[in-house]
Amino acid sequence: MRILDKLWQALDERLDLAPVLEFATHKEVPQHRHSWAYYFGGLTLFFFFVQVATGILLLLYYRPTAEAAFESVQFIVTRVPFGWLIRSVHSWSANLMILAAFAHMFSVYLLGSYGKPRELTWWSGFVLLLLAMGFGFSGYLLPWNTLSFFATRVGTDMVSKVPLAGEWLLRFLRGGDDVTGATLTRFFGFHVAVLPMIMAALLGVHLALIQRQGMHIPEGLEEEARTRKPLRFIPSFVMREGVVWLAGLAALAALAAFFPWELGTKADPFASAPAGIKPEWYFLFMFETLKLLPAHVLGIEGELLGLAAFNLAGLVWFLVPVLDRGSSSGHRSRAFLLLGWLALAYIVSFTLLSFAGVFK
Amino acid sequence: MRNHLLAAAVVLAHAAAAWAVPPANVVRAPGKHAEDTCTACHVALDDEHLRAPALLANGDIHHTQGITCAGCHGGDPASENAAVAMNPARGFVGKFSRRAIPEMCGSCHSDPTFMLRYAPNIPTDQLAQYRTSKHGLALAKGDTSVAVCSSCHGAHGVLQVNDARSPVYPTRVVDTCGRCHGDAALMTRYGIKGNEITEYKQSVHYAALVTKNDLSAPTCKSCHGAHGATPPGVSSVSNVCGTCHPTQRERFDLSPHKDAFAALQQPACESCHGNHAILHPTDGWIGVGEKQVCGNCHSVGDAGATAAFAIAGALERATAATAGAEGRVDRVKRAGMLMDDADVKLEDAHQSLVVAQVEIHTVNPTRVDEQTKAVLASTGAADTLAAKAEAEIRYRRTGLFISLGVIALAMVALIFKVRAMER
Amino acid sequence: MPGSDESSAVSRRGLLTWLLGTSLVATLVAALYPVFRFVMPPEVVESPVNRVLAGTLSELPPNSGKIFRFGPKPGILIRTPNGDVRAFAAVCTHLACTVQYRPDMQNIWCACHNGHYDLQGKNIAGPPPRPLEAYKVDIAGNDVYVTRGA
Repeated sequence: MRILDKLWQALDERLDLAPVLEFATHKEVPQHRHSWAYYFGGLTLFFFFVQVATGILLLLYYRPTAEAAFESVQFIVTRVPFGWLIRSVHSWSANLMILAAFAHMFSVYLLGSYGKPRELTWWSGFVLLLLAMGFGFSGYLLPWNTLSFFATRVGTDMVSKVPLAGEWLLRFLRGGDDVTGATLTRFFGFHVAVLPMIMAALLGVHLALIQRQGMHIPEGLEEEARTRKPLRFIPSFVMREGVVWLAGLAALAALAAFFPWELGTKADPFASAPAGIKPEWYFLFMFETLKLLPAHVLGIEGELLGLAAFNLAGLVWFLVPVLDRGSSSGHRSRAFLLLGWLALAYIVSFTLLSFAGVFK
Repeated sequence: MRNHLLAAAVVLAHAAAAWAVPPANVVRAPGKHAEDTCTACHVALDDEHLRAPALLANGDIHHTQGITCAGCHGGDPASENAAVAMNPARGFVGKFSRRAIPEMCGSCHSDPTFMLRYAPNIPTDQLAQYRTSKHGLALAKGDTSVAVCSSCHGAHGVLQVNDARSPVYPTRVVDTCGRCHGDAALMTRYGIKGNEITEYKQSVHYAALVTKNDLSAPTCKSCHGAHGATPPGVSSVSNVCGTCHPTQRERFDLSPHKDAFAALQQPACESCHGNHAILHPTDGWIGVGEKQVCGNCHSVGDAGATAAFAIAGALERATAATAGAEGRVDRVKRAGMLMDDADVKLEDAHQSLVVAQVEIHTVNPTRVDEQTKAVLASTGAADTLAAKAEAEIRYRRTGLFISLGVIALAMVALIFKVRAMER
Repeated sequence: MPGSDESSAVSRRGLLTWLLGTSLVATLVAALYPVFRFVMPPEVVESPVNRVLAGTLSELPPNSGKIFRFGPKPGILIRTPNGDVRAFAAVCTHLACTVQYRPDMQNIWCACHNGHYDLQGKNIAGPPPRPLEAYKVDIAGNDVYVTRGA
């Protein structure tokens, strides 16, 4: 112990760490009937850590070329000891991370925690979600199997609808006119270098903001939070979060055991598209909505209109701390609460209906 | 009619004189493009019939090899005076009768010494073969609607056979024959159905030719001969098919069918496979039911039907086992298991199945069974490997369950610890 | 007896701490063991089998052949009567049977339908429609390596 004490003293002397420790030991988490919502962000962080760890491991064997990508993933799952597990966990954790991020975002929204002074936290979180979806989209292609190849072709085709810059964007994303080995190399670069760098920086900002501002107490629960004894961040909250992380780990192990992620068949760019191509589940609600739209609405291409609507909705969602004027004074408007519930109901119902095969 | 024959005789006499030895002024230098006054004038003529040959001459193999128009038509290709150039006294023949064409072409093409100077590798027996063909025999009897050299090769603008534009190139020769043989009205005069081309186009041979671009796939001439075109007789059918399908023929020769078919004057391969519309055979053909080929001669209860049932049963078991093993191996493969060894076994099964299908031609159930047993052995081995892989998947699942238990225990302990701490 | 109550509470707390510590360590081991195994190179160190050790020169006298495996597919390694070493896919282009070398005929032969290929892999007789796919051969000492085109 003396060595540890000495080490601490030496570091404190040089870096003035005492205030940090002081902050950490005094940090408290308020308790009220909705304080369960505070755990989702941490859970998302856990899955992100799993992604980083398993992602780095996969990099040891993965090869990002059209000729070798599928074979290298096949090699990982068949020849490398526990490669099947690492890959399965990476795939499942990616999906659970998005799911946890959605839960985190909706709980924050519905409890009205986005208002002043937490606008920056909301905005950074919104961008983090977009980045996570970018991770999902780029990572989906990397095994270079039939399904991912055609899903990427359909997915990237959407950006060509963007007015003016569409063609340019399409060529930028695909690294050419069509999805080829060049796209794979590019997506690999996005997936392991560009996105992680931005994500790490933004995640740092997001977490720093939360530490700086503390937890938000939802409107109407201030009294309850005052009367109940708050949790000390260390060790109580951390240990509870630990239980949640263990539950996340257990979920990963169970999913990898029951539903090992399949390899599929190698992509053949010249084969005709297989029937029933679907994107990852978190894009399904948009995918199905776009399919439901008529070909032309008032002379404008239906799909274009749909994409414009999604972008507008995204913008409203992003700007909600500004648009909801009452939120800055702690009185969020009923209309925005209703909007949140509607959005949640729409996304959940369309995703579930799509899984149930209602849209065909 | 007499006049007609007389005219032909005159032409033939001329021809004999003109073609006995190609005149020196006809061939300038072998291998050098011909130059003559004929094309120079004819390309400028208004009459389509007179202009077209001159236009075609440029790409003609003869012309490019230095043989001028006069090589066939006679006359003086050096003179610019039409009266001199096309003077019968200088051997000018003009338009040929159809009957004269084979002899005219043959005057060079049957002369090995002459052909040696141009194309030492091409045969010189075409005319001899032609005379034995149905076409040649009919022509000799005065029937001028039958095919002569120019019917298939063209008259002017003759191309080499290996030129893809040539009407006798493998991918085009079927339609070339079909120009006459697809004409049912014309063919009834010769007692031919006229549906042979349509039937052939449904066959595996035509599919191989056009979809796989397999130029070795048989066309009309592969079985009937080209210059000596004639239907192969009953006794020679198996020889014709056997040139490309030797193993089937060898097995057939071992079968009791060989002597039985011969005694019945029944063609060998054709009895089951047909002639022009040769479809891809399936195992379903074996049996005495409707659309099953054994039923043509055999009926339930006789030895042939019993053998057919035995063979069909063995093949069905082998095919089902192969499909089953393939499906199972495919499933575990998609689950991420390495199944290379099982794939090798499936290849073996596939190979034995192919050989079993060859052995059908012996109509001996024991020989077919030998192969289907090999199929079952291979699929059994593949099944075992798939079962092993499935066991490995279960083993992994068990391992994950254990770690799940460990994690659950840690969670419970942590929950109790939190409670104890906050009490 | 408050004393024994206290001691039982202490021992219960001790047990809980022990249980927590053990299970957390076990969880850590369960998570790290696969990672440790994963980072150690597997037996076959390279992923796609575009190159294999197909055989040795000593086992291939002139005018002989040998079947080797390229992943799940067979390949054929032949040594011509002149001593050249060549390699082809051993999958017959007709119906995908495995071909073999026939020293008596000095060519490659498929037993299924009596297809023949010459020593350059070209189809010369019987039903095969196309030549066999040729592979690149590299000889290092006594070892013969075969590389498949990308």
